[in-house]
Amino acid sequence: MSSCGNPNAEADALMTRRPKYDRSKACVKCKSKTGNIVIRHAVYCKDCFFPLISLRFRRTLEPHVNPTLDLHRRKGLKASGNLLIGFSGGLGSTVLLDLVQKTYLAPRERQDGDQNPNGGCPWPKVVVAHIDTSSVLTEVQGESCRIRGVVESYGAVFEYLPLRLEDAFDQKWWRSVGGPDFVHPTGLDIINEDMFLKLLSSNRTSPSSALNAYIASLPTQTAVASGIQALVRVLLLYTAVSTHASHLLLGTSLTSLSISLISSISQGGGYSIKEEAQEEWSDNNEDGTDRTVRLVRPLREVGTKECTLWAWWNDLTVIGKHRYSGGRQDISALTRDFIVGLEKDYPSTVSAIARTCNKLTTKESTNTKCLFCERPVQSGIQEWKHKISIRSYRDLGPDIMSPPHMNLEGGSSGDSRPTHTGPVASNLCYACHTTWTSRSIRGNAASQNDIPIPVWVASRSDHHNDLRNGRKVEENDLQYLIKDFLLDSGS
Amino acid sequence: MAPKLCVLCETAKAMLRRPKTGQQICRDCFFYVFETEVHNTIVEAKLFKSGDSVAIGASGGKDSTVLAYVMKTLNERYKYGLELFLLSIDEGITGYRDDSLETVKRNQQQYDMPLKILSYDELYGWTMDAIVAQVGRKNNCTFCGVFRRQALDRGAAMLGVDHIVTGHNADDIAETILMNIMRGDIARLGRCTAICTQGEDTIKRSKPFKYAYEKEIVMYAYFKKLDYFSTECIYSPDAYRGHARAFLKDLEAARPSAIIDIIHSGEAFEVKEEVKATQHVQQTCQRCGYMSSNPLCKACTLLEGLERGSAESGLTERARKKLEAEGPTPENIRTIPFFNKTPSGNPGLSIAVEIPA
Ligand SMILES: [Zn+2]
Ligand SMILES: [Zn+2]
Ligand SMILES: [Zn+2]
Ligand SMILES: [Zn+2]
Repeated sequence: MSSCGNPNAEADALMTRRPKYDRSKACVKCKSKTGNIVIRHAVYCKDCFFPLISLRFRRTLEPHVNPTLDLHRRKGLKASGNLLIGFSGGLGSTVLLDLVQKTYLAPRERQDGDQNPNGGCPWPKVVVAHIDTSSVLTEVQGESCRIRGVVESYGAVFEYLPLRLEDAFDQKWWRSVGGPDFVHPTGLDIINEDMFLKLLSSNRTSPSSALNAYIASLPTQTAVASGIQALVRVLLLYTAVSTHASHLLLGTSLTSLSISLISSISQGGGYSIKEEAQEEWSDNNEDGTDRTVRLVRPLREVGTKECTLWAWWNDLTVIGKHRYSGGRQDISALTRDFIVGLEKDYPSTVSAIARTCNKLTTKESTNTKCLFCERPVQSGIQEWKHKISIRSYRDLGPDIMSPPHMNLEGGSSGDSRPTHTGPVASNLCYACHTTWTSRSIRGNAASQNDIPIPVWVASRSDHHNDLRNGRKVEENDLQYLIKDFLLDSGS
Repeated sequence: MAPKLCVLCETAKAMLRRPKTGQQICRDCFFYVFETEVHNTIVEAKLFKSGDSVAIGASGGKDSTVLAYVMKTLNERYKYGLELFLLSIDEGITGYRDDSLETVKRNQQQYDMPLKILSYDELYGWTMDAIVAQVGRKNNCTFCGVFRRQALDRGAAMLGVDHIVTGHNADDIAETILMNIMRGDIARLGRCTAICTQGEDTIKRSKPFKYAYEKEIVMYAYFKKLDYFSTECIYSPDAYRGHARAFLKDLEAARPSAIIDIIHSGEAFEVKEEVKATQHVQQTCQRCGYMSSNPLCKACTLLEGLERGSAESGLTERARKKLEAEGPTPENIRTIPFFNKTPSGNPGLSIAVEIPA
């Protein structure tokens, strides 16, 4: 507040620095050997470290393997489908792959206190997918074969499935994962904040140039980073469905989870705070045969430091983390720097963030799924935005006095088009709408009207009931199908 | 190059780039959208009803000065029917608060509102200068925050008002959301996004500037040539909050909507029911009668620590245990006078029976 800018300052004192470790240097577990690592103020020796980490991994994952919790207690672990692992070649996913192999595919190494008495792997098949992002990140060019090498070094236990980021714009890929055909070349128009989909004369561009046009039209560095992230996630989810996977595992560590939580909150993603940690996603098939995938992050109790040691002591090859970074203009990069920096002086910050967010839930549930990221859409977002930040006098409510310096009636300017939320904006989550419409002072100022859209967006604009007013229409009645999204095509 | 036109009215010359939206607009449109957004906040949250007496927590700083001006403007423009007061807390900070109180006294004349000043010294027997002399510069904001909150409520009770509005702006709220997540303060996280809070029998408090950017408040004060005291508090915030604040500034620089986006996030989630069930229930402080989640309220705990020469005991569990081991609270220490809020009726009834305006 005004006087010292310090609301609710009384709890600041809770965040005191603590010594790196408590009491002695002996391992807290076996109490005999000298410790090699400090984890959250407790000292562990190397021998006790391995079972500690695999226990955390299993404790996070195994309650979610069976379709329901009570099935798990009676029958041991049995998933309802295959397993898909998203593998970037970075530290987290490298450790994840290793843990899955050691825990479920090399049964002799399993530990006491096993929750899976029958042994064996809960999934009939384990597929490892890697998404090649080299068409937008030149740094990763040529790494795909090293990544294949890592996966294949485990032998035949994993099936390797290579994907490319531009698959998100490729009808061939969309068909290969069982996506319904769509025929109408459609582009996104962001000149207006409501956003519209409109017909394009043709979509004869290659998937990789469509991807690059898409990335280039995102208005901020923040949007580029989160845009790529969303494409990766949705590509993996549809791939999971097409490989008959009941589970998709990602190697998000405790540190990465805390970073993505704060980053998502800072981009308006509070409504999907649960999904940042774990989510149930289904592909909403038209014929009612929904296939559901459970996305689990089994390393979300294991910090980066522990992952590094696991990889080091197990002699694993980490290809490196090549993610997009927009530097000081990119909220996710800023958040990463902030959290990693803070962790040095306040080591409990990272786990505090994850723990706090784990105690939160969303205020209302919803059935609407975001066109772009396929996460739940909260209702009333556009109305909220119009009240909080007036960007046009068309959005003024009826009881609002018109600007005194303008001679107008009824609170609207000369342009008296009624307030009206386009169907695209109302089918976007807050974060995705913000991604497309929020600008930075230095950002990309060019507004565009023919932005290529990912195949799942194009397919839904063709097929989904809520976007075509719930009526059955002829497949080829093109104009009718999407007329709601069309501005005057000549504009 | 032709002068750029305001994107809102499309007639006047654009004078400024709006910090919240990045739009280039004219000065009159800036005043208008700034005020109208505050009005939207007030109406949407149904903050007031006609006939309410409302105290504006006034420090002489930019936030509360602009708040007083905008509250007066909107009260007249939209006929809220409010009776407005200025309420100032004198923390006893030499070279800072004494000067800023002079500004508040001028505001009292300029805005023609009654003013009440209540000091930490008369309420607690301690000035902030004396507290800092004992506790040092670490944690001083903790004392100040706890003491100010209670002082405002007591000042409001003395004025006989039922509502306090404070100048907390969007930046403050976004920062508090981040802080509460990072330090795991679930109870505060649940409360900090509320525009209006009300304890069992305390006075309603609300934040009409919840969605107003700090930069726009400064801009508003500047263009309206408002008389405010611009010096920052000489006691700087604790290091941890300082980190959070710097981070928020970076986020805003990367994408200006970040502040509003964080608040939106904070409003979209809530504490899970099963977690809420384990939280402390509100009670009243045994010693001073103020609302509290423990037998002793935070202000009484801090004050006892100061009086017994162990300021730490109000801050950490360990120091508190140590103090308890030293024996019971001595009889002769100074305590806060008992809080007797003159009830304006049965609190349960006053909600049910609302006199039509
Ligand atoms: Zn050991
Ligand atoms: Zn979305
Ligand atoms: Zn204007
Ligand atoms: Zn008390």
